[in-house]
Amino acid sequence: MMTEALKQAGDVTDIEWEIIVLHTPTKPVQSKKSTLMEKLQQTRDDEEEEEYYRNYFDERFRPITLETARCLLPLCNVPLISYTFEFLAVAGVQEIFVFCCSHSDKVKAFVKQYGKSSNMKIHTIVSQECMSVGDAMRELDAKQLIDTDFILVTGDVVSNMKLDKVLDEHRARRQADKSAIMTMVLKKASPQHRSRAVGDGSLFVLDQASKECLHYQPVKAFKSTRRDRRMTMDMEIFDKHPEVQVRNDLIDCQIDICSVEVPALFTENFDYQDIRADFVHGILTSDLLGKTIHFHEVSDVYAARVRSTQMYDAVSKDIISRWTFPMVPDSNLQAEDCYEYRRGLVYKEKSVVLSRTCVVEEKVVIGANTQISEKSVLSNCVIGKNCVIGSNVKIDNAYIWDNVRIMDNCVVQHSIIANGAVLEHDVTINKGCLISFNVTVGANATVPAYSRLTALPEDEDEELVSEPSIVGATGRGRSYKEAEDSDDEDEEVDPKNKGVNRLAYDMTALKLEEAKAREDSASEFESEASDIEEEEANPAEELDREIAQTLDRAFKEKHDVDIAALELNTLRMASNSNFHEMRKRIIPGVLKHIDLAAAPGSGKTVKEILARWGPLIGRMIHDEADQVDGLFILQRACAGLYEDSTKSQKVFAPALRYFYDEDITEEDAILSWYHSEKSQQGTEIEKKLREVATPMIEFLEQSESEEEDDDEDEDEDSE
Amino acid sequence: MSRHNELVDDLVAKLKRRQLVGSSTVAQATLKLLIVVISKNTWTTCNQLVTLVKSVGQRLVEANPTELAVGNIIRRVLHVIREMFREAESSVSQKNQTEFHSAPLSTSSSMYNLLGETGSTPDDNVQYSSSLRSNIIQEIRDLRDELEGIYDNIKNQASLQIHSNEIIMTIGRSKTVEEFLKMAAVKRKFQVLVAESAPSYSGQEMALELSKAGIETTVIPDSAVFAVMSRVNKVILGTHAVLANGGLVAISGTHMMAAAAKHHSIPVVVCTGLYKLSPLYPYDEDSFNVTFNPDSVLGFEEGDLIEKITVTNPYYDYVSPDFVNLFITNQGGHPPSYLYRLIVENYDPNDHTFDL
Repeated sequence: MMTEALKQAGDVTDIEWEIIVLHTPTKPVQSKKSTLMEKLQQTRDDEEEEEYYRNYFDERFRPITLETARCLLPLCNVPLISYTFEFLAVAGVQEIFVFCCSHSDKVKAFVKQYGKSSNMKIHTIVSQECMSVGDAMRELDAKQLIDTDFILVTGDVVSNMKLDKVLDEHRARRQADKSAIMTMVLKKASPQHRSRAVGDGSLFVLDQASKECLHYQPVKAFKSTRRDRRMTMDMEIFDKHPEVQVRNDLIDCQIDICSVEVPALFTENFDYQDIRADFVHGILTSDLLGKTIHFHEVSDVYAARVRSTQMYDAVSKDIISRWTFPMVPDSNLQAEDCYEYRRGLVYKEKSVVLSRTCVVEEKVVIGANTQISEKSVLSNCVIGKNCVIGSNVKIDNAYIWDNVRIMDNCVVQHSIIANGAVLEHDVTINKGCLISFNVTVGANATVPAYSRLTALPEDEDEELVSEPSIVGATGRGRSYKEAEDSDDEDEEVDPKNKGVNRLAYDMTALKLEEAKAREDSASEFESEASDIEEEEANPAEELDREIAQTLDRAFKEKHDVDIAALELNTLRMASNSNFHEMRKRIIPGVLKHIDLAAAPGSGKTVKEILARWGPLIGRMIHDEADQVDGLFILQRACAGLYEDSTKSQKVFAPALRYFYDEDITEEDAILSWYHSEKSQQGTEIEKKLREVATPMIEFLEQSESEEEDDDEDEDEDSE
Repeated sequence: MSRHNELVDDLVAKLKRRQLVGSSTVAQATLKLLIVVISKNTWTTCNQLVTLVKSVGQRLVEANPTELAVGNIIRRVLHVIREMFREAESSVSQKNQTEFHSAPLSTSSSMYNLLGETGSTPDDNVQYSSSLRSNIIQEIRDLRDELEGIYDNIKNQASLQIHSNEIIMTIGRSKTVEEFLKMAAVKRKFQVLVAESAPSYSGQEMALELSKAGIETTVIPDSAVFAVMSRVNKVILGTHAVLANGGLVAISGTHMMAAAAKHHSIPVVVCTGLYKLSPLYPYDEDSFNVTFNPDSVLGFEEGDLIEKITVTNPYYDYVSPDFVNLFITNQGGHPPSYLYRLIVENYDPNDHTFDL
């Protein structure tokens, strides 16, 4: 039945997929009725405010990005961010907020200069702690900068799309339904398309009729674990949507039209980092929020993101081949540029000096004041401003930035050479190299494929130690090693997936590397595999750990109970567990923080802890069954805290009292807990704890009977 | 100087981003901007004003060198300015009878000026009458009116060119040709064949418009142009620009149609406003061409394929002057050999480039 409902669209067949449909009991969905008042308020001013941020957290352009911001890297001799600004300008955007963290001074300077020559208002917001989209959105919410719907893009988008249609669509949808909070722009392209970032794929489940996105899942290039190969979605989707498409043929260029609520949602869910993997996935899987995300599919325009060196290569070629028209070099987007288009996709500045015998083949861009000497051959390449290329040089598929000197008889293949680098004579650069700023490769050196060279010293205080084995005797530079310890502990990247988005990446090279890696660490691989299995088999432990961490954080950072509860709720939904599981972990977690020896006022006495965090426990307890269950857990937890029963009693008695006073547990629940067999069994301490409750029970029973008496009396009276 | 900079920046950005395209639109936008520039700035001498207009013109032309109408309008304005100053100068010198000064022989359209020194800039030291400023602005406004009424002047010649029961062939969508044919259809009954003009398919739009006006219209694929040419009486073309030698920059497919017409000795008539006539020469066939996004020729979705092949999608064709028999402009019909004369009458030779 499941497969019947699935309408396969696009090319999903090239990757093995297990599609798992999760069956959950249907919950009543709150239908949101927008009143007329709301609709009136909806008529917004036409000015679309834009927000736009860049992420530095991916490190694919290292070591080049150690010295400058990614969005300032030249793409066909124009800074990347200019393409994004241009794209927004064409869309009629009037105000732009740029978020930046590292190299903010350089970005600021550029933006300032750019802002002068255009009539857009561009603000730069620098925040060092801003490590992801999530952080940027939270910052945005905190500063209350935006009060209309806005466009969210990254600083590396190259597109000639006209957004007005999408904006109109989004607006109309918002008028009709307030819960439509976001419109994603997706571009159709075949699975093996060059403008598709290898290893950054996404799987969308869509409803074409309502243009709604129903489910989202990121896709890795190599799916080593079963989790990677599996997609889980809610059975409910099929109840609501008669026709569903599962699609893998869409390029996600992360151009989103967001409503005002989006930053606030990020604040509410402060563990959201990524806009897709966390936010979209989170919103769509959450049945509490009742928000919907829509999409707009485009096919006849260009849109791509330069997120890796492989994409840098692809997008450069698309620009040279004019797929991005009118954003092509001869449109001279930068004021000082003056490129001319020649046959064979050759773009040449007026001031270029070509020698008589040099050969400029197809698809070449040559920047201002560059000189090319005799018998050099250029093909499929971009050469920046003020470069000097010696004679007999062969450059193929390479990206050479400004002020580079390449001396005689060099060969450069499929690499990026950054500003100020020098290749002395007879140097060979093999494919896939990144040569960073001001590196000098000495004469006769051969740089192996996929090398990354930098001229920055390893430590800021130290002098640069050159590696003559790579850069030659007269060279200056060292090879850059990627930091192995990734900050994100949950980001377990398959070693194979690291390489796929590299420049000049090809499968054959990878297989060699892979084989080598296997030989080196066959055992490591095995252990890794077993790790994964363990992890899969034991989600409970993971939940344990996560809850403990959340609680610790809440205590340490003095969070609101509301926030802590929300976070825990998110965890519950993420792990698909129930409230019992949560109580089992949260109650001991809270009690653990009680220090019997603490002085009053320190915030650690029984009373204080209960007053502060008791409501959190209350959030996990709802009906009577929950209450009884909560008491069992409390009993066990107190018993487990201390070896000494008197100490346990000191915690248990006030806790029970608190539960009763605050109506977390009602009388009936306490009574049924007390009288149940389960509470009378268990360890000695547990039994003693039950006895502690005896006076209270007696009191309760007494008052209850009195009440009954009262009732009877009343009954009698009425008769 | 700074007062108009914002407006200039705005137009430059629009031209670069191709938000403004099409000869007529850019011509009108340019003229509008120039009126503001001239009226908002202070200037006293001819040189000052020419320098001012040229500096704006240079920026506009560099913004999109393929929109030749921008440069043409600026040259027309410069020509008007020079003429007005010359006139004012001669009237001043006539007043100062004491000074013997041979006034230039009437206007530059005389044979004398063609051969002798031309475009001598008026003397900077002369005090001009206060009405000069308003006169110049009035002249430029007249130019604007001319631009607006350009279709009327052209289409009024329609009944001279198209006769009853003729078969006319055309390509692409040209507003001028559309108006021309519609005007002819008021009096005469004739048939029109429109080549669909792949990959933009603007010919299809054209055919739709014509058939709405009640003209018997047939759309043919571009490949059939040669095959049906023998049945055609006249080819009527629109153009993006007319170059100094009489060559055309017109929508791609035009060259093929003109060549087929020449093969069958069928007259080719080009309808164009004078603002499309440029004093520039095509030194290279590609020089005024625009290469568009190849998407309409080969879909970007094709994936693998686009890496292996190079697709070019030129928007215009260069048609050499020997394919054209007649130009119908707002000043009447002219053979290509007469265009040099129109250029001399409308533009000053000092203004062919905007270098200061």
